[in-house]
Amino acid sequence: MIETALDSVAQQNGFRHIHPGTKLLLGLGSLVICLISPFPFVQLISGIILSIVLLFPGKIPARLYAELLVGPAFFAVMSVIVLLFVLGGGDVIWQFNPASWLNLNITTGAVKESILVLCRVFGCSISLFFIVLTTPMTDLFNGMKRIGIPVEVIDLMMIIYRYIFIVYAQAVEIWQAQVMRLGYSKPVEAIRSFSMLCGMLFISSWNAGEDLVRAMDCRCYNGVFPSLDVAEPVQVKSLVPVILYLSALCGILLVLVINNGVIL
Amino acid sequence: MKIILEARDVRYHYPGSPEAIRGICFHIRPGEKIALVGPNGAGKSTLLQMFNGMIRPTSGTILFDNEPIQYDSSSLRQLRKRVGFVLQNSDRQIIAPTVYQDVAFGPANLGYDEQAIRQAVTLALRQVGLEGFERRPPHHLSGGEKKRVAIAGVLVMDPDVLVFDEPTSGLDPAGSEDLMELLDELNHEGKTIIISTHDVELAYPWADRAILLLDGRILEEDVPDIAFGNTDYVRMAHLSVPTLLELSQELSRRGYKMPDRKPRSVLDMIEIIQNLLHRSNNKTQTGTISVFNVDEQDTWLLPAWIKARPEGVVGAMGTRAKQCAVREGLKLEFTYGVIDKCILRALRGQDSLILTTNSMAGLVISRVNTYCAESGNTIIVGSLDITKQDPAPGLASEKTREYDHSPGES
Repeated sequence: MIETALDSVAQQNGFRHIHPGTKLLLGLGSLVICLISPFPFVQLISGIILSIVLLFPGKIPARLYAELLVGPAFFAVMSVIVLLFVLGGGDVIWQFNPASWLNLNITTGAVKESILVLCRVFGCSISLFFIVLTTPMTDLFNGMKRIGIPVEVIDLMMIIYRYIFIVYAQAVEIWQAQVMRLGYSKPVEAIRSFSMLCGMLFISSWNAGEDLVRAMDCRCYNGVFPSLDVAEPVQVKSLVPVILYLSALCGILLVLVINNGVIL
Repeated sequence: MKIILEARDVRYHYPGSPEAIRGICFHIRPGEKIALVGPNGAGKSTLLQMFNGMIRPTSGTILFDNEPIQYDSSSLRQLRKRVGFVLQNSDRQIIAPTVYQDVAFGPANLGYDEQAIRQAVTLALRQVGLEGFERRPPHHLSGGEKKRVAIAGVLVMDPDVLVFDEPTSGLDPAGSEDLMELLDELNHEGKTIIISTHDVELAYPWADRAILLLDGRILEEDVPDIAFGNTDYVRMAHLSVPTLLELSQELSRRGYKMPDRKPRSVLDMIEIIQNLLHRSNNKTQTGTISVFNVDEQDTWLLPAWIKARPEGVVGAMGTRAKQCAVREGLKLEFTYGVIDKCILRALRGQDSLILTTNSMAGLVISRVNTYCAESGNTIIVGSLDITKQDPAPGLASEKTREYDHSPGES
């Protein structure tokens, strides 16, 4: 159910009434900085500050946020374990030779690189989560229209977005009906039930599509899909802190580059 | 007499199946409330979809405003602007990802400009009591709210006729009553309303005329007490006789004298029972009914009324009135069937206050006065500031004369 939870959080968080442009600037800005910075310190700072901002003024439920972070964390840790052994450079700090043909080394260079990768994943994921958790899809559609994505594509996206929840609810209903009648009790049974679920879902989506055309006809469809025209104005009191924060992050990055990785 | 919708020997069959509609003729006058009642598969939905040209009859004609419906796309668009259709499943009707976009769908396609769209949407959302819902996505709304969005999406085009397929299916009882009240409100604003339903209890007190359908034919078409009073037809159509009607039939079979006008509400029934018990002459002092218009009057009047009448009860009609009650922290005794319930209280000597919206304020006063004229009771009813001082009955009828057309008064 995490998908639907994400959507309702995006609709109800503490930053709901800030202009989506401001939120996108913050999210994308820190994402870019986290991507280009070669110093893990920058990603750490960015990740921690954005998390604090999300949890406290943003009123994101801490439990949901933690659950969200588990995904990328698991993925990152798995990759880093491999990277530790694959990458090289610097002095060897740990060696493991179980057989003559297998030589596992961990070097200082590998440790450094791995920490950077870990922090980069951390910083970038949180930047993306910031956008996901604070900006509802409906606001993003508006922004897309403004930057010149073709209207037809956006209209399609809007209809798809609307129907995700309807089809999802239908899938859950069918699945529950199957579970109640022990549809997933044996592996063979599970495969059969799942294929049936897919078939049913296809048929009902097809019907929903035909109904959609009829509903649009019923309401005088003539090729126009209205856009949401009630966006909040850009507010100085939210835009200024975002710009200050991004400048500070850039400043830290610049100092690190000039001093070759030493902050003071 | 003016006729807005007419069917002349309409027949229809779905491809590869027997006729679903087998020769139907009827007409509907502007401002009527029609209930199309029948069992599943009687052809209700099929018939309804003919009214806005979604289904074209195989033979026969449908006339809208005395013109046969044309089936080219531009005439159909014009027709659908004037005949709004609300589907049974609101999820199927709501297309757009936000309430605003969905309600704006019709006007945008009719080529309104931005300003006009915004105005029309705001007005329609206000009519159904969903102000402030503009940015909400439909999947975060309750069933009743979705229904209201669907209705707003149709209302926004300002149609003359509103067609509802099973409007109360999937709503809880309070939600259904609420919705029926909204339909009353819209009807009061001059819209012709046609609903299909199998809920006789809901259709019986509400409709001006009921059309019983069975197997694609009209079984009976009359005022509800006659249409639902024919037990043979009701049984044939897999329906049931409304409780009030059954009660009155049973009483009359037991030799009690029933008035010609059948009871349509609990209030009517109480009146009949009291007359049977010969207690109508030694009436107690009746209570007053005050009407508060949430759109026009100042809310500071409310606490004074409540303070002056600790025994008084408060009811609200319409969503905006209910929102106002929540804002003011009032405890609502009644939220549907408000007028009748307040009259019942007044007959027992209790004072009541009805919060209502602009369009319904006049209706309250005229309904109470009609009741007084028919029953011979005297109930003082008026706008809140008039009955504020708790006047003596004689004085009050003097003061409320502008609202009062009842011959029983003065």
